[in-house]
Amino acid sequence: MNEFKNAKEAYDNTPIPAELSERVRAGVREGKARYRARRGRTLRRWGATAACFAVLLAGLNLSPTIAKAAAEVPVLGGLFQVLTFVDYDKTEDGIHYDVTVPQLEAEGDLAGKVNAVIQEKVDAHLAKAQQDWDDYREAFFATGGTEEEWADREMDVIVDYEIKSQSESRVSFVVTFAEGWVSSMEERYYYNLDLSEDRDLTLRDCLGENWVETCNAAIERQIAESVDEEGFTFFFAPEEGGFTTVDETTGFYVREDGTVVVCFPEYSIAAGAAGIPEFPIN
Amino acid sequence: MTKEETLTSFLIETQTRSYRLAYSVLRNREEALDAVQTAVCRALEHQNSLRDPGAVKTWFTRILMNACQDTLRQRGRVVPFPEEGPELGQEDPEPADDTLARRVNALPAEVGTVIKLRFYEEMTLKEIGEVTGQNISTVKSRLYAGLRKLRVAMEGVEI
Repeated sequence: MNEFKNAKEAYDNTPIPAELSERVRAGVREGKARYRARRGRTLRRWGATAACFAVLLAGLNLSPTIAKAAAEVPVLGGLFQVLTFVDYDKTEDGIHYDVTVPQLEAEGDLAGKVNAVIQEKVDAHLAKAQQDWDDYREAFFATGGTEEEWADREMDVIVDYEIKSQSESRVSFVVTFAEGWVSSMEERYYYNLDLSEDRDLTLRDCLGENWVETCNAAIERQIAESVDEEGFTFFFAPEEGGFTTVDETTGFYVREDGTVVVCFPEYSIAAGAAGIPEFPIN
Repeated sequence: MTKEETLTSFLIETQTRSYRLAYSVLRNREEALDAVQTAVCRALEHQNSLRDPGAVKTWFTRILMNACQDTLRQRGRVVPFPEEGPELGQEDPEPADDTLARRVNALPAEVGTVIKLRFYEEMTLKEIGEVTGQNISTVKSRLYAGLRKLRVAMEGVEI
């Protein structure tokens, strides 16, 4: 059995790529997120202040069987309400949809525009997911997969939103789009609105004239603090495509306590294992 | 520790083992990394299907092997685990000076996997059956078929 001993030794000495632990952590993150998403949406994170109104609409390729009980909870006295426009959790044709779409109700043009933009993104996301899934299925059968093996495959398509903060006239919320099967990707869109002035809030509104310097200093400090004792950080160096500066397109939300939190897309300024980098600006 | 934390630490602690196994099946660095990441993600996503925490190793190995199978299938190299009846008796001509490790890698996937799990991962036949979804007699006959092909003397082989 010496021969096997040598073979096992060669096997045990398989070179381990440096990015393995990062990839495992990314898998852990994604798996936990999907587990939470799967467990259902009974734990609404934004608590009792949010008005919730679930309604089933045609146009999103919904089947009536997945309609959830609609209940209107008018608790907001301000200039607007954020409602759950569509909320469904169903599996159809191998795709597990977990879709919760917000809708803003307010006087003025802004709410309608924001709703239209969100709807457009939802439609595009669902269409892309369907296309990805069809491509995968085609490849699966073309390479000898059987119906039986296909049957237990499932892809997740997730749309969700979270209200980060709200006041009489302002609201800050985040809409998340995710698609997951063999690989996964999460995209987030940030909405910060002032309904009394019927316009988007900008970083300048929140942080003043020096918003670029303020943000950059806070972000650079936090990136520097992320370096561990071995000199490792998930963040890329500026010359490797890492963080350089914020600008008008930088996403952010506002916490209940008024803190502005600047966010960057997954993989944009850091390795995937860092998730979606968020920087509170103090 | 919660069940999820226990599972997470297991996945992190055994990551090099997972990668070695995936790499030995796929022989491709990127694909092996993808397979491990996918398997880790699936394991946490479906953590409720782990009924017996003591069986986490075979449970996860099965998820990992399935992820590898998916990759092979997408590649177009279809190597399913047939339920029964491995093709036996055909001796592949291998250069005499080739190492055993290379000959193991040249085995048909369903036989090679059993050999790797048995001798590299040192799993029992029962565990291999659970990981690959085969019954013990199939595992046994694949193991013997593999050893015959490898021309390893069976005396003293603990199986």
